[in-house]
Amino acid sequence: MIFDLLAYGAFFLTMAMTFAIICLGLNVQWGQTGLFNVGVAGFVAIGAYVSAILTTPDAPGRLGGFDMPIIVGWLGGALVTGLATFLVGALTIRLRADYLAIATFGIAVTVQLCLLNLEPITGGPFGIGFIPRLFAGAAGNPSLFSALNLAALIAVVALVYFGLERLVRSPWGRVLRAIREDETAALALGKNAVRFRLQAFAIGGAIMGLAGATQAHFIGFIAPDNYQPTLTFQVWAMLIVGGSGNNRGAILGAVIVWGIWAVSASAVSAVFPPDQQARAASLQIVMIGAALCAILLLRPRGILGEVRTVSRHVGTSILPGIQSTKSTANEPIHAEKS
Amino acid sequence: MKGGQDSPVVLSTQALVAGYERDLPIVRGVNLSVRAGEFVVLLGPNGAGKSTLVKTIAGLVPVHSGTVLLGGADVTAMPCHEKIRHGLAFVPQTENIFATLTIHENLQIAANILPKDERNARIAAIYAVFPDLGSRPSHRAGHLSGGQRQMLAVARALVVEPSVLILDEPSAGLSPKIVSEVFDRLKAINRAGVTTVLVEQNVKAALAIADRAVILVEGLVAHEGLASQLADDPIVAELYLGARRAGKQVAS
Amino acid sequence: MNPQALMDGLLTGAMIGLGAIGVTLTYSILRFANFAHGEFIAWGAYFAFAASGALGYFSGSLLNPIGPFSFGWSLPVAAVIAVALTAGLALFVDAILFGPLRARRSAVIILVMASFGAALTLRNLLEFVFSSQPLYYSKALQIAFPLGGGLRATPDQLLTLSVAAVLVGSVHLLLTRTAIGRSMRAVSENQQLSGVVGIDVRKVIRMVWVLGAGLACVAGIMAGLLVQIRPHMGLDLLLPLFAAAILGGIGSVPGAMIAGLIVGLAEALAVQWIGAEWRAAVAFIILVLILLFRPQGLLGRAE
Repeated sequence: MIFDLLAYGAFFLTMAMTFAIICLGLNVQWGQTGLFNVGVAGFVAIGAYVSAILTTPDAPGRLGGFDMPIIVGWLGGALVTGLATFLVGALTIRLRADYLAIATFGIAVTVQLCLLNLEPITGGPFGIGFIPRLFAGAAGNPSLFSALNLAALIAVVALVYFGLERLVRSPWGRVLRAIREDETAALALGKNAVRFRLQAFAIGGAIMGLAGATQAHFIGFIAPDNYQPTLTFQVWAMLIVGGSGNNRGAILGAVIVWGIWAVSASAVSAVFPPDQQARAASLQIVMIGAALCAILLLRPRGILGEVRTVSRHVGTSILPGIQSTKSTANEPIHAEKS
Repeated sequence: MKGGQDSPVVLSTQALVAGYERDLPIVRGVNLSVRAGEFVVLLGPNGAGKSTLVKTIAGLVPVHSGTVLLGGADVTAMPCHEKIRHGLAFVPQTENIFATLTIHENLQIAANILPKDERNARIAAIYAVFPDLGSRPSHRAGHLSGGQRQMLAVARALVVEPSVLILDEPSAGLSPKIVSEVFDRLKAINRAGVTTVLVEQNVKAALAIADRAVILVEGLVAHEGLASQLADDPIVAELYLGARRAGKQVAS
Repeated sequence: MNPQALMDGLLTGAMIGLGAIGVTLTYSILRFANFAHGEFIAWGAYFAFAASGALGYFSGSLLNPIGPFSFGWSLPVAAVIAVALTAGLALFVDAILFGPLRARRSAVIILVMASFGAALTLRNLLEFVFSSQPLYYSKALQIAFPLGGGLRATPDQLLTLSVAAVLVGSVHLLLTRTAIGRSMRAVSENQQLSGVVGIDVRKVIRMVWVLGAGLACVAGIMAGLLVQIRPHMGLDLLLPLFAAAILGGIGSVPGAMIAGLIVGLAEALAVQWIGAEWRAAVAFIILVLILLFRPQGLLGRAE
């Protein structure tokens, strides 16, 4: 019994760590840069599929697999996703803030479509199986196997976390913060401001791709259904709960929301009869969707986000990373001149 | 009777404190009163809060404390769009017309708060006063020149026959020749009985057309007096220069 | 172009156009991309389904098909009820979510995010109540009759197209010829000046929600009548709606309708030439092309 619980605990935490990586990626885009990405699921999927194609053993009727080492898959996934993010960003980052949101939403829809229809590459609706798992040699000893996996994922999270913390405190991070918090600074930098934001967007995307890859190798099997808008939404809930702009908050938010999700999922399966469970699962999303709106309304800085580790002078903006509508919306007679 | 001591006060503020940020008031306790028929000009160095004061009166800037009285009624908390129904017309400094609408549509929108049967007559009356506008009602307002835009903005404000007309630096960005045309127009409007409050940077021109001047410095009334007397008063220069000297710290 | 693809494209385009008008209006006046707009389409369809079912329950004769159409009088009556309910839903969401965020001067992107949360909530609520099984207003089958030139259409399809045309015409007249339309255009250009000239901006915003949600409801009923009713119907239409609103030029009603037809026809062509499974990518490709070459849209003004 205790053993089962521990095993489940390790599984739960390992999954939570993969979400934490996505969340850290989203935090670079949103928390640090104020770029709204509604296509998280699509970018995570790109990373997962690229890594799966690179590392699975040769499969008849499908591109690859190339049977490469897992680490190559991870890096490949991150790289390709970073590139895809860069392209979307290059297209929209100069335009209105919500065009980026619409474009990323479009990417997610299109990626989903490609996963389903490009069967020779993605395996179609059935996805890709037999993705090599880390420490496959230890698979005979389940507790050692899950402990090693958890340790590896924690290591990846730590690596990304410290890398990002360094980046945030580097000159690059300071410029980014200046652009985010001071419209004048952004204007003074002109084209460079666009470049900085584009870099941040692509880095965030690459991290999401890495997260998708690690997740794929942990579960061992991927299919288009794993990358529905619900995933995007879960990650957003995690970041908002944790408090955006705060890397530790992003990790904590991932654990908390994934925990709530897991508990409510088991509650649903306990309370509702089997034939009603698919339907009841939607109630889960309803509750968390309402919670997201409530947090935006009541605690815009997130439950744990009050610690302003990133910025000490957020000013009046609702969330770190955001200029208030005063400066962005079309309210021309607002500026105090005299 | 113009602006006489015994005309009733139509617009006043009492200890008005206002600004966009709670802890950073720009208007810091202004007492102002304007009598019926008067032409009052608000002067002061950059960042003195002139513009914020009139925007506060118009209902565009949050009031922290104090009151705004219009014709004796407390209108401090009244939303912007209600104030015009109570006779207060405001002409913002920039973007004061709807550029994507035609001249006629701009006036129609203003006339919308009047009873239905009066609207067309009022617009026709405005066209009679501003023949420049009347000659091309379906012209897109965005295609007008700077001076014509100001005229349209003023005409728009006059459609509803306001009791008080407040203008925020109508001369900004206009050539001197156009400015004097605009000012002549304002003077004529005031002579016709419309109480006028004008925010202005150009001290000389403003004192030449106004009855009375109020000088703001750092969000407070620093001095007020009859325009004719202030024109040569060294205190005006002193207040401007003094503020400029201190302005290194307070400039917005 | 195959005449049948033309017909399909026009029908899809009419639905997209009606939805896109709502998107473009809310976008130009409230200044954010409303990701929950698709849900008004789905909720509208379900409201009409529920109302029509209730009417049929009380008086079975309402379910007898009218003339050549597949549905009885219960559906048009239900449509009126559904439009009112959908408008009420939009006003409700605005009152509890968007309104408070606006009052707090929240950043545009917070509103977008809130609309994203609202969309998921609304969509899954539908799925919970009605399950994901597709529903139909009528099981009656209709025969398409020839219109000449190889074009065939069912009476339902022709009615749908006419309703869409009448609605677009009316909205266009409302915006260009009436006082409320002028106020809406004024608010979309400059909210603060609108207040200064005496427009009650909150009233205009309510009007925009009613209009946008009402048109979305009609689009939803059309989709339900011609295809089927599913909780995800709004989500599936969302990208085409955004593509059409941006292609048409934000704020332009004729633009949204024309762009809706373009997107619909492009989708029909893609189905014919490439395959139905790629239909959903068409809107994205159109979106990318507009953002690359003409971000202000066909009839929009440059920013």
